[in-house]
Amino acid sequence: MSDVDTEAEKLTRRVETAWTGRLSRREFVQKAGLAAVGLGAGPYLLAACGGGAPSGGGGGGAKSQLTILQWSHFVPRYDTWFDAYVKQWGEANNVNVKVDHINQADLPARTAAEINAGSGHDLIEWIAPPSALEPSVLDLTDVVQEAEKKYGSQLPVCKSSTYNPTTKKYFGFCHSWSPDPGDYRKSLWTKVGMPNGPLTYDDLLNAGTAIKQQTGVRVGIGMSQEQDSNMAARALLWSYGASVQDANENVVLDSDATREAVNFMVKLFKQSMTNEIFSWTAASNNQGLVAGQLSYILNSISAYRTAQQTRPDIADDIFFRPALQGPTGKGFASEHVILIYLIPKWSKNVDKAKQFLLDLVGHTSDIVYQSELYNFPAFSKTNAQQKLFGSGGWLDKDPFGSHPANKLDLLKNAASWSVNVGYPGPSNAAIGEIFDTFVLPNMMASAARGTKTVDQAVSDAAAQCRQIFAKWRQRKLVGGSS
Amino acid sequence: MSIVERTVGVRRISVRGRLPERPGFLGALMVSPAVLYLLGLVGFPLVLSFVYAFSDVTTGNPNVHLVGLSTFAAAVRDPVFAVALRNSFIFTFFSQALVIVLSTILAFGLSADFPGKWVVRFLILLPWTTPVALGAVAWLWMLDSIFSPFDWVLSAVGLIHHGAHIPFLGQARLAMGSIVVLQAWRMLPLATVILMAGLTSIPQDIQDAAAVDGAGFWGRLIHVTLPLLQPIMLVALLFGIVFTFTDIAVIFVLTGGGPDNSTQVLASWAFYKGINGGNLAQGAATALFMFPVLLGLAVLLLRIASRVEVT
Repeated sequence: MSDVDTEAEKLTRRVETAWTGRLSRREFVQKAGLAAVGLGAGPYLLAACGGGAPSGGGGGGAKSQLTILQWSHFVPRYDTWFDAYVKQWGEANNVNVKVDHINQADLPARTAAEINAGSGHDLIEWIAPPSALEPSVLDLTDVVQEAEKKYGSQLPVCKSSTYNPTTKKYFGFCHSWSPDPGDYRKSLWTKVGMPNGPLTYDDLLNAGTAIKQQTGVRVGIGMSQEQDSNMAARALLWSYGASVQDANENVVLDSDATREAVNFMVKLFKQSMTNEIFSWTAASNNQGLVAGQLSYILNSISAYRTAQQTRPDIADDIFFRPALQGPTGKGFASEHVILIYLIPKWSKNVDKAKQFLLDLVGHTSDIVYQSELYNFPAFSKTNAQQKLFGSGGWLDKDPFGSHPANKLDLLKNAASWSVNVGYPGPSNAAIGEIFDTFVLPNMMASAARGTKTVDQAVSDAAAQCRQIFAKWRQRKLVGGSS
Repeated sequence: MSIVERTVGVRRISVRGRLPERPGFLGALMVSPAVLYLLGLVGFPLVLSFVYAFSDVTTGNPNVHLVGLSTFAAAVRDPVFAVALRNSFIFTFFSQALVIVLSTILAFGLSADFPGKWVVRFLILLPWTTPVALGAVAWLWMLDSIFSPFDWVLSAVGLIHHGAHIPFLGQARLAMGSIVVLQAWRMLPLATVILMAGLTSIPQDIQDAAAVDGAGFWGRLIHVTLPLLQPIMLVALLFGIVFTFTDIAVIFVLTGGGPDNSTQVLASWAFYKGINGGNLAQGAATALFMFPVLLGLAVLLLRIASRVEVT
């Protein structure tokens, strides 16, 4: 006997189905399977008939593809400019370019996912040194050398944020960076006899205390698990002659200079701040300054630009100071953000990616202007140097409405007091882990809150740092021996 | 083949020969998407976590080199690990204690009939329908160090000085309390719904019989209702413990683990160490410490639930 249905059986089944609406199991499975295949393959079949890919822009043809992942800039007009620039660049270079903007906090997780998957974007822009990713990204020494030939030497703060002296590789390409000046309220500081703001940390302590006593307005230096607190802790340590590592990547945090710096922070907290600073997010110091509740913060000009939009009266009262000096007579501050592109090893269009980076630096004046002077040039001879730093340039006459117009002119020499997060050594993977697990702000916080003595806070933090350095040394990404 | 079958042209079809006709095939096919989902998105990552925890992988280098137990040792030696482990238990215990008490009260209340009951039910369910990140951000704003509306209200009723700010997230105990309250707020609807289902399943006859025997409200509650509700309560507790012990969203949004890592839990510390810090192996090792705890709890609670005998 054959298993093939007879015509009679087929007819019987069709009649039964039409009459009762019931399907047999076999028919249900067949129809469901066909529907699933149709739904899944339909778009691709239609696209094939239309001659294009089912997703992504433009037609196929001979154009290559380039995909870029980067943060959503604090200044929205920058992203608007960048997307338009990328499109023009793509048309000029016969490349289909696609840009994805995500929240900067999502960059580490997204990049880790792409690395583990072995596929993703051709270019990824970070705003902190991606030193831990070195094994999975290309060495960009050739791009940096080519850029230096065209646009002058790269600034030390940018070089030390992207170069690993242990492996002698550039794991990223820095095209711009942001300084981290002090922002102070002139009217409040004038009341205590310092109209030009603080020059030293002692000025900050004494005058900040007086302002709080007279007006209730606090100093705004965070000690919480967020980026600005990381920057503030480092700036204080450096200005006191302390640091996490020395120039040869040995851990040197456990020092008298560190203890002095932490003692200072405890005093500053007790005299001029409140508990709020232990729970801050990255936006809190901005919000506090714009709300008129803080007399001094350490931040890029983003807080000021926000105030210009929402509280022009406060904005007119905000002025800037360079890195505060410590007992050493020197003052250092970290870069606030450092914009670094990396090219993962899986990138299918490496040549175009490298060309994009070189061409981007050629538009540094646009990068600077469209970021409302948030981004600064990474190279010494770009087309932005004269426009930004020159006499009568943007820092002398802010095109974005500062009162007075030369409010930002002290940023002209920002590169002289700005260093990388691993200063005096490089921004290596161990420094990255210490940064991202907030070891230094927590060291300051535990001493200020009284949960540990200063000695205990410093030695615990140093022990953590040594453990972290040891692990990364085993992976041969960090130098030094202790 | 019989004469009748030959006459009408009926053919015998062997059931075993056609796959769709086999018993159990369709059922397996219908369940397969869920199984594939569990294997792909739960099973595979779990296996991968074990592999990573015994290796030295980083976010930048996913090549696996097995290193034995040294990654676990490094994870345990980290001073924040002990804090995170302790906090995971504190956070879970206090938030679930709050949930069980409040959800029992709410379940009893909502089982009765009163005007506007549907509005109250809707409001109670609302936290569960809100995406956790959205709810946490709303609480973050409400607990802000400068702009908290709670400060304003407390100041208006004279409980704090005008212009004073309570550091809800800036002091360790207040921060942990804030997290516990937020988690309880999130989990309350689920527990309430589960307990309401349990209450409605208790036969009214038993309640009536107890009342006839002279039991008052508290007598019926303690000797009849709560014992019958116990298995359901344990299920609600199990859900709550699993969701809370593994939660990262609330801590990540509200405190970031601060101040000074005092609200760090295993899940959040694993993320900060593994993803942000680049040390993927140590992050995996830290996260895996949740596994035996949850497995043991689940086995214990389900055994208790299955053995409960009401006399």
